[in-house]
Amino acid sequence: MASPVGKIRILLGIAGRNLFASRARTAIIGAILLLGTALVVAGSSLVESVDRGMRSSIQGSLGGHLQVYSAASKDELALYGGMGREPLLEPIVDFARVKEALSRVPNVKRVVPMGIDQALVAGGNQLDIGLEKLRADVRFLEGGDRSAELLRRYEAHKSHLRRMISLLWDELQASRALADDQLIRDRKQANEDLARASSPAFWDGFEKDRLGSLEFLENRVAPQAMEGTTTFVRYVGTDIDAFMEAFDRAYVVEGERVPKGQRGILLGKWYAEEYLKLKSARRLDKLKDARDYQRRTIAADAELQRWVKENQSQLNEIQMQLDPLQAEEAVARLQKGLGSSEKELGKLLSELLRTSDADFDHKYRLYYEQLAPLLQLYSIRVGDTITIKAASRSGFINSVNVKVYGFVHFRGLEKSRLAGVMSLLDLMTWRDLYGYLSREQSEEMTALRAAAGTRQVSRENAEAELFGGGGGVEAVSQKAARIDEAAVLADIGGRKKSDDLFDRVYTQEERDRGVALNAAILLRDPSRLRQTQAELEKAAPGLGLKVVDWQKASGLVGQSVSLFRMVLYTAVLIIFAVALVIINNAMVMATLQRVREIGTMRAIGAQRRFVTAMLLVETAAVSLLFGAGGAGLGAFAVWLIRALGGIPAGNDQLYFFFSGPALLPTLGTTSVAISMALVLVVSLISGFYPALIAMKVSPVEAMASDD
Amino acid sequence: MSAIVSVTNVSKIYKLGKTEVPALRGVSLEIDQGEFLSVAGPSGSGKTTLLNLVGCVDTPTSGSVVVDGKDTTALSERALTSLRLDSIGFIFQSFNLVAVLSVFQNVEFPLLLQGRLGKKERADRVNGLLEAVGLGDHARHRPSELSGGQRQRVAVARALVGRPKLVLADEPTANLDSQTGANIIDLMRDMNRKDGTTFLFSTHDQKVLSHANAVIRIADGQLLGRETVARAG
Ligand SMILES: Nc1ncnc2c1ncn2[C@@H]1O[C@H](COP(=O)(O)OP(=O)(O)OP(=O)(O)O)[C@@H](O)[C@H]1O
Ligand SMILES: [Mg+2]
Repeated sequence: MASPVGKIRILLGIAGRNLFASRARTAIIGAILLLGTALVVAGSSLVESVDRGMRSSIQGSLGGHLQVYSAASKDELALYGGMGREPLLEPIVDFARVKEALSRVPNVKRVVPMGIDQALVAGGNQLDIGLEKLRADVRFLEGGDRSAELLRRYEAHKSHLRRMISLLWDELQASRALADDQLIRDRKQANEDLARASSPAFWDGFEKDRLGSLEFLENRVAPQAMEGTTTFVRYVGTDIDAFMEAFDRAYVVEGERVPKGQRGILLGKWYAEEYLKLKSARRLDKLKDARDYQRRTIAADAELQRWVKENQSQLNEIQMQLDPLQAEEAVARLQKGLGSSEKELGKLLSELLRTSDADFDHKYRLYYEQLAPLLQLYSIRVGDTITIKAASRSGFINSVNVKVYGFVHFRGLEKSRLAGVMSLLDLMTWRDLYGYLSREQSEEMTALRAAAGTRQVSRENAEAELFGGGGGVEAVSQKAARIDEAAVLADIGGRKKSDDLFDRVYTQEERDRGVALNAAILLRDPSRLRQTQAELEKAAPGLGLKVVDWQKASGLVGQSVSLFRMVLYTAVLIIFAVALVIINNAMVMATLQRVREIGTMRAIGAQRRFVTAMLLVETAAVSLLFGAGGAGLGAFAVWLIRALGGIPAGNDQLYFFFSGPALLPTLGTTSVAISMALVLVVSLISGFYPALIAMKVSPVEAMASDD
Repeated sequence: MSAIVSVTNVSKIYKLGKTEVPALRGVSLEIDQGEFLSVAGPSGSGKTTLLNLVGCVDTPTSGSVVVDGKDTTALSERALTSLRLDSIGFIFQSFNLVAVLSVFQNVEFPLLLQGRLGKKERADRVNGLLEAVGLGDHARHRPSELSGGQRQRVAVARALVGRPKLVLADEPTANLDSQTGANIIDLMRDMNRKDGTTFLFSTHDQKVLSHANAVIRIADGQLLGRETVARAG
């Protein structure tokens, strides 16, 4: 059987020689195919890598494999936030039932309850701390203690407070210059209070009425210092133990985990860095990051220069913290470190923060090694109790106190805002904030309140009051939920009341019974995600739930990869459409030029299918050759990117998508397969018409004389 | 002698839009095995049309053409192609070699299409023919590296390589100077004598005509007659 081999050989031979004979045409077609395939291979490898990175980021930090939430919800679940606000979800009233039902599906490993929201956090207030110290001194004084040590401390604390107030006053005067009349009128009372507190007369009269003066400062002045330190925290109310086990990327970076079953919060480390850290320290960190990792210089970068300027002009936050004794120490340390004889702290600080490229590293070290130990770097510390305020479901502002046990990071996502802004709040406290009452619960509440007469049930011990501390029914008094901001601010001194609640250990059953907004589902075998999703979907309607995969659950974030992919595919489509047209045109032209040759072959005895095959082989050969070359080029590009350290995550969004500081793409076999398939399809389509022309060529064409 | 070709009362009408162009009108003709026959006539008389019909690249409007015992009007396109491959060799006015193939490959081409011979047999046959047409040492050349006469010799070899019973040549010398043309006709004549292959060729050239052993005169689509050429020498 010599025939098929010989025929194929001659077909390939003719194709190869024709391609070589018309080199220019082949080069153009080849270049298009080469670049097209290279782009598909490299591009889809990148998208796949981003997809993998993001999958790992989402699954490992918050999403799990699947999520369920109430089917009655107005919005769709968006773990990383929706369009400018948290999505409105209907509550899952009884999480225990959901957990039990879902756990029956064999592939379900874990079901983690969640409730995500944002709230205001009243950060630690320096004025508050100063007032607390002074009040303690005053208590001893009123008790008759007159020791020299106490008096020295008392005077130091008093002058620190006075200085803080005068700094606050200066700040207010400065901002008054910028404020409009309306604002000034609104703030009239506050302004008068502050003016009084910073007047010498007030301090002269302090000794006459220590307690009265303290009260005035606590009630009228301290709230004004508060405003600046209020931040937004985004938190997930969850069973923290289950969460930490389910999401292996989460780890406690400072402090400790909330003790099993207890109330408490783990603040997001990224959030702490961004919002709780002293602004000057934060700016120094950013400067260091920009200089060390982004290779920017203060001299050449306007943004860095702005940070340096801001650092120099905002010294109050540091000065406020230092009482006179600490201030003295700071002056001594800075004089030494800066080699200066300046005596004024403000000037020394300004000098310290006037960083240039030359002295940055020295001053950075000086700041952290000498100054920072005298300061409280973060406005909230491990062990602090913070007040969180959020709009409850009923619309009232709800407020809870919760103890900070530590800070939480997500491994590999340390610089990502999306992941790191999240704090972990225990489920019980979250439910208090959320303020959901089932019908039975509110009936029970009404009955109890009637029994208790007109006695007010305070929020902190509502549960103990209502259920004797052991009922395990999660409820917050509607009455107590009606708390206004002033009440919260006035409440700072009263935190101790909730101590017994903080120490309570809730059983797993208590934690599970009650409200959640959504639940993350982790699977034993993630590769069977779709099947399990289908199984869960069968069970879900009975529970009133909707089941979504991690990508859908992540909201806009998850869709961005789809967006990348769509952009890429559109580009690929355009490139290959253009390639199709160009290749088709070129091949048609070439075929028309070869009509006589084809006619000759037909006359000599070549069947139609032979000349058709001849044309197709030619297009296929050029496509496969340059397609393979393009795939190789794309693979090389991917390898090169890896070898050069990957694509750096330029901002915190990318950090999340890349699941780390840089994207290290890997060559996807599917990308190669897809691109080769695409090339083949394009070549077949573009070769089809020329082949059709060839088929129609009559052998008579061979006889036509050319001249 | 038995007829390799019989053309009976054949007409061929080309349609150009609404007008009909009669290229052949009631032509009848018998060609015997081993003949070396020339078709002569003025331009537009129907020579090429006649050769196309005999060569099975075209079919008549009416009448019948029987080649090697097969009625071409009854054959499918595929069967006609097979008949051409196996029974007919072609020599063209403009040589019509495949530009990208070497001399050897051009000659080998019909054998590959036939697919009957192994590699070695093919090579032997091709090389033998190239020797016979005087191009034994040009096997690896490209057509573009050859003169017109040499190209037409390659074409002759290609036409004969499949051992056809009939070789058709439409004005094989028209693109050659008269001396080279005469040489080609001599070559064809040699082949005709050696293996008894039947040749039918058309020409304008009186000098070429003198090489044929018989001439068919054609004018205005009609056969005028057939005359035997008195051999000059
Ligand atoms: N494909 C065609 N379509 C229409 N008319 C055609 C076609 N081929 C040939 N004719 C016409 O048929 C007639 C015969 O043409 P043919 O080519 O057979 O002449 P010829 O004798 O070969 O001429 P020449 O010596 O110039 O090659 C001419 O009038 C020609 O115009
Ligand atoms: Mg002609």
